[in-house]
Amino acid sequence: MGGLKRKSSSSAKTLAKSKKKKGPHLPNSILKVIANQKRPLNSDEEDDDVIGSDDEHGGDLYEYEEGVPEEESRKNNRYDRHDNYDYELPEDFEDENVESEDDDDGGNNDNDEAEGDDDDDDDDRHTRMLQSLTGMPSAAFEGESKSKPVLFTEAYPEGEFNPTRDVLEGKNVLTEEDFLAPLEGTPGYQKTSKQIARMRKDTKHVVHAPLPKPQRERLERKAVIGLVDEEFSKWVHLVKKNREAPTVYFNQDVDLGYSTVGAIASEFQPRTDFEKKMASVLNDSEVSEAHRDDGARLLELNEVSMEDHIKDRNHIAKMRSLLFRHELKSKRIKKIKSKTYHRLKNKDLKNSSLGALIDPEMAKEEAMRQEAKRVEERMTLKHKNTGKWAKRMISRGLNVKYDGTKAAIAEQLQMNATLSRKMNSMRDGSSSDESDDEEELNDGSDEDTPSRLIAKAKEKTLRALEDDEVPNAGLMSLPFMARAMKKKNEEANEEAKRALEEYEEWENSGGENSKKTVNVSGRRVFGATAKVEAPKESRKDSDNFYDDSDSDNDMAGIEDNNIEPVRDNASPARNTITDTEKFDDDVAGNPASKTTFDVAMFASGSWKKMTGSKNTESKKASKKTRAPTPQAQDKKGSRDEESEDSESEAEEMVDGVLTFASKETFEVPSQAELINRAFAGDDVLDEFEKDKEEVLNQEVPKPEKPVLVPGWGNWTDIQRKRGISKQMVQKHEAEKKEWEQGLKTRKDARLKHVIISEKVDKKAEKLHTTTLPFPYTSKEVFEHSMRMPIGPEFNPSTIVGELNRPEVVKKTGVIIKPVKFEEVNPNDEVDDEHPRNHQKQRPKKKTSRRQGKVKSK
Amino acid sequence: MEVALEDNNLMEKVLPPDEQEIDVELEAKEKKYLRGEGANLESLKDKKLKTQLASREKLYGKSAKAAAKIEKWLLPASAGYLETEGLEKTWRIKQTDIAKEVDLLSSRNQYDIVLPDFGPYKLDFTASGRHMLAGGRKGHLALVDMMNMNLIKEIHVRETVRDVAFLHNDQFFAAAQKKYSYIYARDGTELHCLKERGPVARLRFLKNHFLLASVNKIGQLHYQDVTYGDMVASIRTGKGRTDVMEVNPYNGVVALGHSGGTVTMWKPTSQAPLVQMQCHPGPVSAVAFHPNGHLMATSGKERKVKIWDLRKFEEVQTIHGFHAKTLSFSQKGLLAAGTGSFVQVLGDSSGGGHSRYMSHPMVKGYQVEKVMFRPYEDVLGIGHSMGWSSVLIPGSGEPNFDSWVANPFETSKQRREKEVHLLLDKLPPETIMLDPSKIGAMRPSRRKEKPTRGEIEAEKEVAIEAAKSVEMKKKTKGRNKPSKRTKKKKELVENAKKTFPELEEKNIAGKKRRIGEDAAAELPTSLKRFARKN
Repeated sequence: MGGLKRKSSSSAKTLAKSKKKKGPHLPNSILKVIANQKRPLNSDEEDDDVIGSDDEHGGDLYEYEEGVPEEESRKNNRYDRHDNYDYELPEDFEDENVESEDDDDGGNNDNDEAEGDDDDDDDDRHTRMLQSLTGMPSAAFEGESKSKPVLFTEAYPEGEFNPTRDVLEGKNVLTEEDFLAPLEGTPGYQKTSKQIARMRKDTKHVVHAPLPKPQRERLERKAVIGLVDEEFSKWVHLVKKNREAPTVYFNQDVDLGYSTVGAIASEFQPRTDFEKKMASVLNDSEVSEAHRDDGARLLELNEVSMEDHIKDRNHIAKMRSLLFRHELKSKRIKKIKSKTYHRLKNKDLKNSSLGALIDPEMAKEEAMRQEAKRVEERMTLKHKNTGKWAKRMISRGLNVKYDGTKAAIAEQLQMNATLSRKMNSMRDGSSSDESDDEEELNDGSDEDTPSRLIAKAKEKTLRALEDDEVPNAGLMSLPFMARAMKKKNEEANEEAKRALEEYEEWENSGGENSKKTVNVSGRRVFGATAKVEAPKESRKDSDNFYDDSDSDNDMAGIEDNNIEPVRDNASPARNTITDTEKFDDDVAGNPASKTTFDVAMFASGSWKKMTGSKNTESKKASKKTRAPTPQAQDKKGSRDEESEDSESEAEEMVDGVLTFASKETFEVPSQAELINRAFAGDDVLDEFEKDKEEVLNQEVPKPEKPVLVPGWGNWTDIQRKRGISKQMVQKHEAEKKEWEQGLKTRKDARLKHVIISEKVDKKAEKLHTTTLPFPYTSKEVFEHSMRMPIGPEFNPSTIVGELNRPEVVKKTGVIIKPVKFEEVNPNDEVDDEHPRNHQKQRPKKKTSRRQGKVKSK
Repeated sequence: MEVALEDNNLMEKVLPPDEQEIDVELEAKEKKYLRGEGANLESLKDKKLKTQLASREKLYGKSAKAAAKIEKWLLPASAGYLETEGLEKTWRIKQTDIAKEVDLLSSRNQYDIVLPDFGPYKLDFTASGRHMLAGGRKGHLALVDMMNMNLIKEIHVRETVRDVAFLHNDQFFAAAQKKYSYIYARDGTELHCLKERGPVARLRFLKNHFLLASVNKIGQLHYQDVTYGDMVASIRTGKGRTDVMEVNPYNGVVALGHSGGTVTMWKPTSQAPLVQMQCHPGPVSAVAFHPNGHLMATSGKERKVKIWDLRKFEEVQTIHGFHAKTLSFSQKGLLAAGTGSFVQVLGDSSGGGHSRYMSHPMVKGYQVEKVMFRPYEDVLGIGHSMGWSSVLIPGSGEPNFDSWVANPFETSKQRREKEVHLLLDKLPPETIMLDPSKIGAMRPSRRKEKPTRGEIEAEKEVAIEAAKSVEMKKKTKGRNKPSKRTKKKKELVENAKKTFPELEEKNIAGKKRRIGEDAAAELPTSLKRFARKN
């Protein structure tokens, strides 16, 4: 009943709560009374009574009275803390008034309430009872008692959180007057009412509820932004100026500050206690005076007091005794013969880092283990308070509370720090160093016997070769590490082998001086290169030879090429041409015009002709006749040469061509021939057009027409009926369109007489950029900016310096200070004219403001 | 306020006419040195870049202005010219008339060297114009110092010499002889025999690239690097034999004139011609390039000389009525043409195309083989069948030489220095292209190989739409159910979609790659040092 008592004794709020807790089982009538009645503030008794009665008889609901949950009782801190937001009165809270009432009417209540339930019939008795209890006139109760309980069907259960009907309707809201009314007549009433009235009028001092946090913060931020903006906008011009300046100068501040140690030391100011103490001693006027006078006074100052002396002595004595004891202990331990003891001791030693210092092998192992641990630590961050336990401890604040936990956590952190610290030099190097040292020592002794030295070195390398062991555990056993190790080992092995060979050589040479060996190697190298070179030369020669012959053969090759298309040609002149083929073959070597005459003879009717050139395929009648003119000229010009040339090729020509030629050249040209000669070049244009078409076809290939292949896709009759499929036709159309577009965009699209190759020259591609360099966004601007050369060959020397000045001019050793604020006229243009007078950085003593360096780019 | 006033003052100041003229002249020169307009900076969004470029442009302007002023005031000599009065015509003025008017030094440049034995002579000058090489058809090679008319070396190779060419300086020259071409030193020693080329018809040297280009009797074009002797390219032109070959000094492109009336342009890095132009209906007899590389003159056997703009590949001018066996542009843009025993010089004085400027008839029976302007002098060298001649053409040469480019008064020390510089500045053969100003620019976009994502999507949408709008046949026997129709339609749409699978595939590939990268990135920091480095 303790809890119950507490609740019943509190105000209306707790009452409601208790109601809820116990399940509302008041008769409706009574409830209504309670709700509707404008009760005076101090009419607690009645309520309590009513409730009391209810409690007494126990509603139809029984509830398990829970004790305070363990978490809340905070008996121990095993549970995570969770806040109880319900308002609770402190446990020791007592309401005096109520307490006394309770005490007073305790017994009565029980009886009365027992009756109160079943008095539905005799209202009189009931009212009387009420009257007697409350001391109010019976009329007050008449209404309710008479009117039968009205059934309210509320949409929601009644409770403290749900407003009552009245409140919702806007009636019967409690006001200050309601609270004041019962006090009327009491001595302080006037004063309080006046005060209240004043308060109501006074709107100035009304303190509003604070704004919600986000809103408040938003406002704050707004205010701050304004301030910050103002502060920073001051810098805008300066920064802009620096950014836009083509060059930023840092060569003004040449004063490098202190140059000597003494100067630096003179600036020193003691900060820590120790330093201060030292300074006080050093700057002691007495001491300095003593120095100045003579040494005698210094001795006086130097005097040690008796106390200090005794302290010193005692300290030394203590140390000595400790040392002595330690000695004794170690002696005793040395005497112990138990093997187990020693084994255990060694184990301890091994575990401790001391052991590592002694045994290199162990050190290596230890390092390996350490490394693995470190890696693991860095991977897992196990010791960084990320564990469950540590987290919980920290969240509860136990690490502060208990020293043990605190220490444990600190230890963990320490471990993490040590493990994740950068790997220090725990390498194999140490051991090898030692051995090296040994060697050096030895070297000193047997300097005079180099052979022995060599033998020793050999032995050593052999040993090194043999003991290539791969560790099978730990980090080194990881596949990639193993691979790396293997590689390294192989390299080392190779080197060792090389070294071995060298040693052997030395041994063989019987300790000859190194000069000779060098010679030997030199000779050897020479021999090797010679070997390589010899075939090269021969190859080159042969290349030349082939090339030469190539050029000879070229003519033949061309001829072949020419002939083939002729064969394919289904022109009416075919017969004649085939007749000439043989001759062509022979004449091929000689590109002279004789050929043309020969052919002309054969094709006398149609003016078809073959020249030695490649164009044979497309040759037409008139072209042939054109050729003789240059030839004739050539002959005129260089009869000499001609004769000499023909010497070499005489044999070929003898085949019969010559005879034909000589006959033909003397023939008088007919009228038709003359006319043809006059308009010799007429078909050249057609030819060129054809050439162009060919080139275009090569560079922008024409799409192939869709062809109907019998038997493909469908059976033939169906296929023939349907024709080429729609899809194919569409595809072809699209391709054609693309092709046309391609032709249109060519540079020579409109120039009939020009073919401009648009083949990509892969070798020249490296001379162009693929992407625009950074600040540029448009190709045009970039290319325009590139148009001017900036070198000294292209510009007057007065401008070259300016054109090529770097973005930042700085003297070595100059300290670049942060930007200093200075007033800048935003309308000033950046002038780069007098860089020397341009003071951007001035030497300043100290700049408290830290601002990023602004560098123009 | 003050600023405005000052401005007004400036405006009010009226310059005397002389100064105005000078201003106009300077402006024109400035424009030349500006090398085109700056980019339109208004379109730039990046303010920083904008200001930087603006300041850059300002510097360029300054540089151009300074250069223009230097050119205006500091260059010592001015170009020569012919001035006529009234009805006088410049082309009526004879060399004898000129000789009276010019100074002694110039008049020494008028001469004929008669060497009737070794027949038509080819000529070549060094870049500085100091030395001349003459190659007689019948084997006579002569190296002459033009400054003091000193014959440095004369050799006779005893076989046909078809062409001669200086290499980078007067120390070496190449001659195309009967079977092979040879390289000789200044003192006449044979240094190399270039066998690979076969019987060469024309030789030209590309100064900036150190390439010796030649075309042989069967129409093969060879490029040989003379610094290390490698054959850079050997190209079959496929157009037959030609002896018309010229180098565009602006970009190093070699032009060949062919019997079909076409002119083809070549570079060593491609087997196909860069450009083929149908210039004449008849055979091309000569080709010449303007030093600025924009103009090309061709002559056809049909008695026409044409001038072409190489930027547009269009004909600028046709000069009727004569055919040139040899053509040559001077440094100032005069065009000399030689036919038979007649030499004509065309000038572009008014800017309206080339017109007759001077002419020089030679003794009847002299066949002009080669005309060539001497650099930095108003002199035209003519090689002909009876030796060689030199005539004065006022206004043909650049009056001021730049000793960094070519120095006629070079000492041997300077020459050696220059040689090293030239070698250091040697350009690789791939820099030969039609527009060398494009070097360093963005790579020209290739023909679209892959459509962009947006295009694919658009296409896909179109395809889907098409599939949806397909009219279904009305089928019978229960096959016309709405359910079946919808199913069929869905199928069609699906099929249409299926034809565009690239998108997804690409995404997957990208994802895969990303995953691979992430795997390395996700490795714990401690293990990263063990990760395999690719």
